[in-house]
Amino acid sequence: MIKGDIFFNLAVRSVRLNFLRSMLAAIGIVIGVVAISSMGMLGTNMQLEVKEQLSATANTIVISSDTVRMGPPGFTPSSSSSSGITKTELTKITSIVGSNGTVIPIYSTSGEFTINSVAGRGSIYGIDPGDIGKFLSINQTYGNGTTEIGTGEVLVGSELAEEFNLKVGTRIRIGSFSSSSRPELRIAGVLQPRGTVADGVSTDNAVVVNSNWYTNQYGGKNEWTQVNVIVKDVDNISDIESAIDDKVNTNAKSPSVRITDASSQLATETSTLSTVTTFIMAIGGISLLVAAVSIFNVMMMSVSERIQEIGILLSIGTEKGEVRRMFMYESFILGLLGAGIGGASSLIIGYSVVDAMIGTTAYFFQPASILYVPAAMLIGVVVCVISGVYPAWMASNMDPIDALRSE
Amino acid sequence: MTDIPVIQLADVTKTYHLESGDFTALNHVSLEIKENDFVAIMGPSGSGKSTMMNQLGILDVPSSGKLYISGRDVAEMSNLERTHMRRDTIGYIFQKFYLIPLLSAYENVEYPLILKYKKRDTTGKATILLEQVGINKDMSAHRPTQLSGGQQQRVAIARALVNDPKILLCDEPTGNLDSKTGYQIMDILCGLHREGKTVIIVTHDPKIAEYAQRTIRLVDGRIAES
Repeated sequence: MIKGDIFFNLAVRSVRLNFLRSMLAAIGIVIGVVAISSMGMLGTNMQLEVKEQLSATANTIVISSDTVRMGPPGFTPSSSSSSGITKTELTKITSIVGSNGTVIPIYSTSGEFTINSVAGRGSIYGIDPGDIGKFLSINQTYGNGTTEIGTGEVLVGSELAEEFNLKVGTRIRIGSFSSSSRPELRIAGVLQPRGTVADGVSTDNAVVVNSNWYTNQYGGKNEWTQVNVIVKDVDNISDIESAIDDKVNTNAKSPSVRITDASSQLATETSTLSTVTTFIMAIGGISLLVAAVSIFNVMMMSVSERIQEIGILLSIGTEKGEVRRMFMYESFILGLLGAGIGGASSLIIGYSVVDAMIGTTAYFFQPASILYVPAAMLIGVVVCVISGVYPAWMASNMDPIDALRSE
Repeated sequence: MTDIPVIQLADVTKTYHLESGDFTALNHVSLEIKENDFVAIMGPSGSGKSTMMNQLGILDVPSSGKLYISGRDVAEMSNLERTHMRRDTIGYIFQKFYLIPLLSAYENVEYPLILKYKKRDTTGKATILLEQVGINKDMSAHRPTQLSGGQQQRVAIARALVNDPKILLCDEPTGNLDSKTGYQIMDILCGLHREGKTVIIVTHDPKIAEYAQRTIRLVDGRIAES
């Protein structure tokens, strides 16, 4: 239909006649479309990656000490006040969970360690050896490891092992490089990579030690940093959470523990990512605004160069609406050109950006990600068409006599 | 054929409001042109010939007085109605041909048909008309810039005729042509007059005016002689 339209043909021929100028104007749209869709895809791929990783620990409730336990102004907490989950709280949690899940108390701190005379820093987790195997597993390619670690043994994270070329049997020292007391421990196993997790135990750059060794070294026995509850049935997770909240957080105004799970962490993470994505896309959108100005400029040039032709069209009986349509087609064609090239470039550039920034393109072709390409193309075309409205209106409202006289 | 004039100007005045003051280009002009008339309009520069042509071609409306085309008062017509009347009732032939540069000769002739019927022409009317004015199929594929002046004017005549208008308005149709080609074009116009068209021609050239049945001389916006 549109192809047989003489006004569409006229618009195509006008674009062809001024091909270089048209292409230069369309490049603005190309950049805008690439910016919006690549950034959108990058953000979505990040969200999908985080979602995938967090869903691996979707069945875990994380109970941590509420760190915002402040007193009134001038109040100084006594040094003896507990800074973790207490034995009483743990007992309550264990009794609430019962046979519906597994309760794993975890100590953790940030510390330094020395490997082959090189100092490093990372998290140190203290976990009962009987609990480690319930949620962490060993990568046997580094040697015949075990999660049943004694007090002189340690498990190391996958990235740490990779970076320092560690294997089962290697020794590492835990403690500050300048410290006189730097006990040496034997690596009993290298853990499988975990990535981003919602259970608060990010082991990839960390070490895991026996809980007894941990409390001997750092103190704080029976003051756990967090307690993880791995529930058997994910559907029960909110019931268990509210039961714990009822029994442990007895003072509603000043809750003693914070209860989170993968879904709340996922919501926070995706909300942050989506805010950042929207912001970056808005910056990309500015390039489309610049493109709109350049399309407007090109359309105004096209109108002013063709004043006499417009005069001919109007004088021999072309309706104003038909003249308008011809110029709207022209801006539409510029939009299509820009959006088409932009869309194709987005696939290539977006793929490279996602691969470089996230390290995987597994989610690239998922609808939520790839939909940014047609969406950005549509925005590009709409911007072009809007930019063409005023020039088209101006052309259609020319006085045919004045237009015919113009040279 | 009826006795109602195809064109009637009743006390038509056209005044332009310029920065330097008002300028009256047509001053109380009354005129009747009947169907199948062949009228030449002559006059020196600034006598109001172009203004008269713009009025007859409904490209402009009178400041006062009445202009009737095919019995209809132009002032009472909407913009769209005037556009349709320009498309269907009047064929324009200009001194500078005014073909659409982006279209081929054939498409230029087909264009008014598309405007009228909102679809491409399948009747072959454009080709027949082009052949009648001496433009063969090879030439009709060319863009206007690839044709000579005479050829362009022939294409313009075919375009003016394609919607079978009652009136042919010719503004110095031979002004940009050599005398031999000019006479050929005049022969075509005479032939169209013989076929029943009303032909109105503006010219400086008395030899061209001799083709007409009636000559109207304009001086200072008034009819001096008719």
